[in-house]
Amino acid sequence: MSVPAIQVEHLHKRYGDVVAVEDVSFEVAAGEVLGLLGVNGAGKTTTVELIAGLRTPDEGRIRVLGLDPRRDRGALRQVLGVQLQQTHLHHALTVAELVDLYRAFYPDPRPAADLLDLVELGGHARTRFEKLSGGQQQRLSIALALVGRPRVVILDELTTGLDPRARRRVWAGVEELRAETVLLVSHSMDEVERLCDRVAVLDGGRLVALDTPAGLVARAGTTDLEEAFVALTGRELAPEEDGCPR
Amino acid sequence: MSEVTVRRPGPRAWATLIRCEAKMVVRDTAGLVVPIALPLLIMAMNASAAGEEMVVNGRSALDVHVLPLVFTIVLASIGIINMPSFLAYYRRAGVLRRLAVTPASPAMVLVAQFVVSLAQAVVGIGAAYAVAVLAFGALPPVDTGVALAVVGLAVAAMYGWGMVVASVAPTPNSAVAIGLIGFFALGAVGGMFGGTAVLPEPVARLGSWLPFGATVEALSAAWAGSPVGASHLVGLALSAVVGAVVATILFRWD
Repeated sequence: MSVPAIQVEHLHKRYGDVVAVEDVSFEVAAGEVLGLLGVNGAGKTTTVELIAGLRTPDEGRIRVLGLDPRRDRGALRQVLGVQLQQTHLHHALTVAELVDLYRAFYPDPRPAADLLDLVELGGHARTRFEKLSGGQQQRLSIALALVGRPRVVILDELTTGLDPRARRRVWAGVEELRAETVLLVSHSMDEVERLCDRVAVLDGGRLVALDTPAGLVARAGTTDLEEAFVALTGRELAPEEDGCPR
Repeated sequence: MSEVTVRRPGPRAWATLIRCEAKMVVRDTAGLVVPIALPLLIMAMNASAAGEEMVVNGRSALDVHVLPLVFTIVLASIGIINMPSFLAYYRRAGVLRRLAVTPASPAMVLVAQFVVSLAQAVVGIGAAYAVAVLAFGALPPVDTGVALAVVGLAVAAMYGWGMVVASVAPTPNSAVAIGLIGFFALGAVGGMFGGTAVLPEPVARLGSWLPFGATVEALSAAWAGSPVGASHLVGLALSAVVGAVVATILFRWD
């Protein structure tokens, strides 16, 4: 039996009086795509920020490929690729310049041309980041998460704010990552259904279910994942949360 | 599974980052006006009259008064206005946060910005000095070594203030606003708008310890070949140290 790529045990995080994550535990197997699904404020982003070592948990234990995100920060950075929610990059640099910059940080980076092909930005290499559309910026952000040939990839709100066509292109890009372990944060049913092997449903900072998309549907006794989500959390994903710009 | 070799970004990463920061600075055309064009303008306006007025040791008023003021404007505008506005933007936009999840530390961006702004200061001072020498017959400082040392100390002092601005400013816009206010306040008490003799004595004295006035007076002494007042040097060193300490405590990465 192989060691899980990500292990999260009894994770707790609060900001002042607000509980962001409460007693969350799960594992992601090597090569698995696990979705973190929930409404805004469910604790998804806090969870991945804890796993990425950007925040310190109040309690609990995290291991990524056996590494402690805080203690083994340097080592984790070599093997983890992260696409953060609404990240902006150096706005006046071009796509090619940004790719070169991030490639310079890793010992064995992917070739720039391969990365741009993967996210279909080859034709925009000389476009400045500030001149890209939202979808193109998002795709560049994904490419940069993959620059260092990561063994574990975190993708946070992959397609929020993108039009349907751009979403499909991003999804196709992610599907090409099959060899890697992916933790995908989403509040889009379509997205997790299409991309994820298993889905962890978070609500109010707690893990309420963890199963395959089909398993969640069967468990909730519903006909599709959306209904299963409502049955499990008592909440609906509001339309404006489902991938449309706010 | 955990035997991952930690490799810090090497010289290639540093070179690429510094080149990228330089492109960011050069493409921010408006940001080049104050440190490069304004000092040139001030010098051109004052040079011809000041160049003919001999002050001491064969040095004219251009050498002893105008050049120190112009060089100080270059250093202060870069250190107190431009550099902090970049850092505030990087923090606000999430650039520092993004770099925190790569093998590069966000501190590398700080260092790269220091390097690039230093280059910008060299260009600004070099351009002003070249025009002063070629067009208006300016002479080098009597104590060149002292002048260079003062510039080095002034850079540290201006960055000290700049890092405080970058630490306390919540947004990029407020960084520019705070930087401009700081720049003009230091300039006002340090002789940017005319001699400090017209200021109330305590204000003028305070101004001569703060980075702007201290740099102007110390450079002026180096050009004239007279001893540099210890109070100016101590004032500059204190600005650098206090700025570094305050920034270490207050600077936020996200």
